Amino acid sequence: MTTHSTDLTVGRPRRGSIGSIFETVAALIERRRLVWYLTISEVRNKGTNSLLGNVWWFLDPALQLFVYFLLVNVLFHRSQPAILLFLGSAILPWKWFTTALTTGVTAVRGREQVMRQIAFPHIVLPAASVLASVGNFLFALVPLGALYLIYPDRLTPWALAVFPVAIVQFLWTIPAVITLSALAVFFRDISNFIPHGLRIWFYLSPALFPIETLRAIGERHPWFGVLVNANPFTWIFTGYRDALYNGRAPDWVPLGILALASIPAILLSIYFFRRVSPLFVKVL
Amino acid sequence: MAQRKSSGAKGSPPPILLAGLGVQYDLRLSKKRKLRDTVLRDGRHSKTGKFWALRDVDFRVEAGESVAVIGPNGAGKSTMLQVLAGILEPSVGKVEVRGKIATLLQLGAGFDPELNARENTLLVGEFLGVPHNEMVRRVPAILEFAGLGEFADAEVRTYSSGMRARLGFSVATSVEPDVLLLDEVLSTGDAAFIEKSRSRILELMKRARAIVFVTHDLDSAASFCTRAIELEGGRIVADGPAKRVISAYKKKMAKRSATALRSGQAARRGN
Repeated sequence: MTTHSTDLTVGRPRRGSIGSIFETVAALIERRRLVWYLTISEVRNKGTNSLLGNVWWFLDPALQLFVYFLLVNVLFHRSQPAILLFLGSAILPWKWFTTALTTGVTAVRGREQVMRQIAFPHIVLPAASVLASVGNFLFALVPLGALYLIYPDRLTPWALAVFPVAIVQFLWTIPAVITLSALAVFFRDISNFIPHGLRIWFYLSPALFPIETLRAIGERHPWFGVLVNANPFTWIFTGYRDALYNGRAPDWVPLGILALASIPAILLSIYFFRRVSPLFVKVL
Repeated sequence: MAQRKSSGAKGSPPPILLAGLGVQYDLRLSKKRKLRDTVLRDGRHSKTGKFWALRDVDFRVEAGESVAVIGPNGAGKSTMLQVLAGILEPSVGKVEVRGKIATLLQLGAGFDPELNARENTLLVGEFLGVPHNEMVRRVPAILEFAGLGEFADAEVRTYSSGMRARLGFSVATSVEPDVLLLDEVLSTGDAAFIEKSRSRILELMKRARAIVFVTHDLDSAASFCTRAIELEGGRIVADGPAKRVISAYKKKMAKRSATALRSGQAARRGN
């Protein structure tokens, strides 16, 4: 005869705000293997069912870089030394961010079936989505690294500083994806809006042009200057560009502030997610 | 607290306890705080577009009981199972389920079509919260029971729906639950597998402390279960020994369909 446990499995009392954040983070740690499985399956699924398979991981960023190169260099006749590296150092990390957001929108919504059948902490879904998006960045490093074959004199030890800059970007991707994945359950329109919102954001960030261009506008219109400074990607792109293109140390102070500011943002997003997650099954 | 053995020892908490339970759906999705405000209002559909899938449910299952949940479509049967499984949180009232739970709702949830049977078994095990080592140990038995043959190494996307259901069933029934929640899964796959799954379920039923079985198959409910509750409009309208509740329900349904038939004929004649 087996002895039966009498532990309460369903119906634990609800906790306060700090408690529920803590509980959610604890659940994430406890279910880390599930997060990892979901991450792997998302990364793997990207390559399947297409002729070139996993080559797309490299081809995708390379093609995007080429498109912007045509646009900026050939059509707009903007001359910038080492133009491909100049563009790539901003465009490729940006692609990571956009992919994270666009796939993050469906992270919860797309798992409707299993959410209706099994009780599990829903936070694992956006968590896996964020992690899977990192794959994007890592693969994009390959075409990016290949650019140094064209511009060997641009390669300095400071290129390694892309990693701390990428961590800052990652820290802000977490709350963005967690929040969007939850909102998208209630407002389906979000997936329609996101590409447009991202595009505007992209053009307001120093990606296709140097930061000085934006600063010049900011001098004429002070509100625009505030906007530029408040945009995390102003600092993130500049950081990448310092490391990869200018071969110098990124400006650590604003990056450090951004990193610290991400902590309350992450905690808030987790709290929000936990609060609305009981509604997911009812709405989906 | 003293850990007592099962068999309904007095004073030990029951495996399942629902008290004053209500589950409300908001048809226009509004804020949660508002859900609580409308508790005192009557009616399943209130003016604000809210809907009580379950209302004022008091329900206690003692160790050793197996309970059939019957009732017409939309009575709240599946909602009840989802609450017991911890998938849905109640809007009001209390739910307490003690011990390991196995849910057999729809089968094959959580499968990733690009993974093979083994990988999917581990994945679903993680969703269920089964410790990894334990799941790894179970994999051979699960695959064997599912009877997939050489397909075990193929991606689940290549499976027929029967194979998928068989694998889902094997994974879901591989746990040794204290509380077993069933939702009409006895008809899975071909005849041979139905027989096999039936005996597996009976085996689980023997071991579980408490069983809740949602079904439209009244005859199997009457033979499997010791007790039955009838839900209608989100409320419990009958509760008692399985045979008695089920035969009363059958009579009620027969009468209802006879009246429906008659009024239908009358309406047609009227045209």
